[in-house]
Amino acid sequence: MSTETGRVGEWSLFGHSLRRVVLYGILAGMGVFYLIPIETGIMTSIINPASYTGSFPYLPPLEPLVPGTGTFSLEPWQGAIDGLGQGLVNSVILVVPATIFSGLLGSMAAFGLTTISWRGQIGIYILFVAGIFIPYQAVLVPLTQFWYNVVPLQAVFEPLAVLPFVQEYHWKLVALIITHTAYGLPICTLLFRAHYKKLSDEMVEAAQLDGASVATIYRRIILPLSIPMFAVVFIYQFTQIWNDLLFALTIVQFGDAAVVTQDLVGIGVSQSGTNFPLRMAAALLAALPTLLVYIFFGDKFAKGVAA
Amino acid sequence: MAELTLDGVTKVFTEDDGNEIVAVDEVSVDIEDGEFLVLVGPSGCGKSTTLRMVAGLETVTRGEISLAGRRINDSPPAERDIAMVFQSYALYPHMTVAQNMSFGLEESTEMGDDEISEHVADTAAMMGIEDLVDRKPADLSGGQQQRVALGRAIVRDPEAFLMDEPLSNLDAKLRATMRTELQRLQEELGVTTIYVTHDQTEAMTMGDRIAILDDGVLQQVGTPLECYHTPNNLFVAGFIGDPSMNFFEMDVDGDLLVGDRFEYPLTSAQSEAVDEARRVTLGIRPEDIEIEADGSADSPSEFDVAVDVVEPRGDENTLHLTFDRGVDEPVTFTATVSGLRQLQAGDSVVATFPPEAIHLFDADTEAALHNRSLDVPEATEQIV
Repeated sequence: MSTETGRVGEWSLFGHSLRRVVLYGILAGMGVFYLIPIETGIMTSIINPASYTGSFPYLPPLEPLVPGTGTFSLEPWQGAIDGLGQGLVNSVILVVPATIFSGLLGSMAAFGLTTISWRGQIGIYILFVAGIFIPYQAVLVPLTQFWYNVVPLQAVFEPLAVLPFVQEYHWKLVALIITHTAYGLPICTLLFRAHYKKLSDEMVEAAQLDGASVATIYRRIILPLSIPMFAVVFIYQFTQIWNDLLFALTIVQFGDAAVVTQDLVGIGVSQSGTNFPLRMAAALLAALPTLLVYIFFGDKFAKGVAA
Repeated sequence: MAELTLDGVTKVFTEDDGNEIVAVDEVSVDIEDGEFLVLVGPSGCGKSTTLRMVAGLETVTRGEISLAGRRINDSPPAERDIAMVFQSYALYPHMTVAQNMSFGLEESTEMGDDEISEHVADTAAMMGIEDLVDRKPADLSGGQQQRVALGRAIVRDPEAFLMDEPLSNLDAKLRATMRTELQRLQEELGVTTIYVTHDQTEAMTMGDRIAILDDGVLQQVGTPLECYHTPNNLFVAGFIGDPSMNFFEMDVDGDLLVGDRFEYPLTSAQSEAVDEARRVTLGIRPEDIEIEADGSADSPSEFDVAVDVVEPRGDENTLHLTFDRGVDEPVTFTATVSGLRQLQAGDSVVATFPPEAIHLFDADTEAALHNRSLDVPEATEQIV
């Protein structure tokens, strides 16, 4: 039974050692285990809702070829795109600037708190870190009060609504952008600070002697060296803000400014029952942008984590 | 290009618990236009802190630093017109060699792009790195990075160069080559330079003058040979020279020095210099000790000693000699002899301490009482 590839004295099967066969068996099993929910979701999302009840959700809709599996239909995806369209647009309007602002400001704050030395910076830094530990629930009421009663953002925004592409309800998204930027700042600062502590002090001093101002050192030395960390922070913040529901419910509450997570809550639910294919299609559609971000920035993310 | 003056420069660091640490204590040096001054001392002696104060990277607690007659204590680093070469080279890793070198010109001058690239190309050619200008620092060897770091300083054409142990990350061979090249460059450019090192060989070979610092206090400023032959005190005598000077603690008994293991007669000039001191330290350089393989001691300055260890260096041998025979861990002193001399551990030899090669230091104050006689006596700048 022994072959050239197997180790001496080991059992083998078709030229592969038994160890390998078991290993691949377990790996394949785990792969199936992890992929089944997604596969089920995808299959469910392409079944005609009318033929869904009683079918096996993880089987492809092959009726009438295979009875009991439901008929194929893109109707759920059509419904999801119609139902979530506005929410997706709102989410993009929210997430892109909020992610960029929190990353950029976090990087600047970390630069000021790490690379430049000045009296009292540790105290300020501790305030930043403390921000990480404030629970979301504790700020919900103050947040509503702040945006609805303290800051007249809505009134400021009204005249801007005459501009192209600007709607009056966008003020809520602006409020959300600022809130997410502020809330993301501590963790972004922490991540960038860890990165900046590893940069050579002598390099910054060399730049000072070369005549560069603090702003120039940031722009020409620190910022280009932060790109791997920006990938990490952008992926992290994008996912956090895209998936957030709590702040959206608190600040947007309801109406045209609702983001995709809010729309997702109610889609496919009615008194006549739950439209599972529609809900599955909507969930996949809502998750798609975060998936794309991981695919496009994944290699940079790995570099940044290793940096 | 200008003269650089340090006048009573002091740096006091305050620790978190309020403790004050004096890192640099009243250092005063005048560095002439175009001079190469080496600041040397053991780790933690304050030499880097001194350099960083000149650069503007540390504040000056007391005293005054002036460049070309202009007080620069409170000027930010960018306004001092000083270029610095760091031990780690501190190159900008994301920029090419050319970008590294042009950065300073872009930030500190009004030059146009063409003029900058012309300057960079000239300097790169001078440093022999013209083929590397499009590479990033990570793709360069240590020696090449070193050249880029020097080029980055030179291209700025500053009033003064500051170098903080720039050669210490290179291997021994390359270090020797760069030492010569750096000296040649500095002479060619004629830029006032302060060079910090802990390596006394670099200090001896490179500097027009060397300034020796210990525990934040300036011990001596002088030409390498002044410091070597006429040290101000015990510290300088022990620090300069490799292998180090031998020291013996001796009691003064009239015209005779009495030690644990031997006695040594003083000449009239020496005993005059010793004057009232009761205890002195006798110093003699290893290369001044004469070794006779045969015969026996028949004058007061000759001693019968045993060879404990021989360290061959090729050109010369370093002998560890001892008065204690048959002891497990004997007290030894060193002597250097020609590499061709055949001597082995255990040999009995006669060591002569020539009277003209003797240094005497006060055992309490460690100040030099008498230095070896030279054919051409040179005056040493005295530190008060």
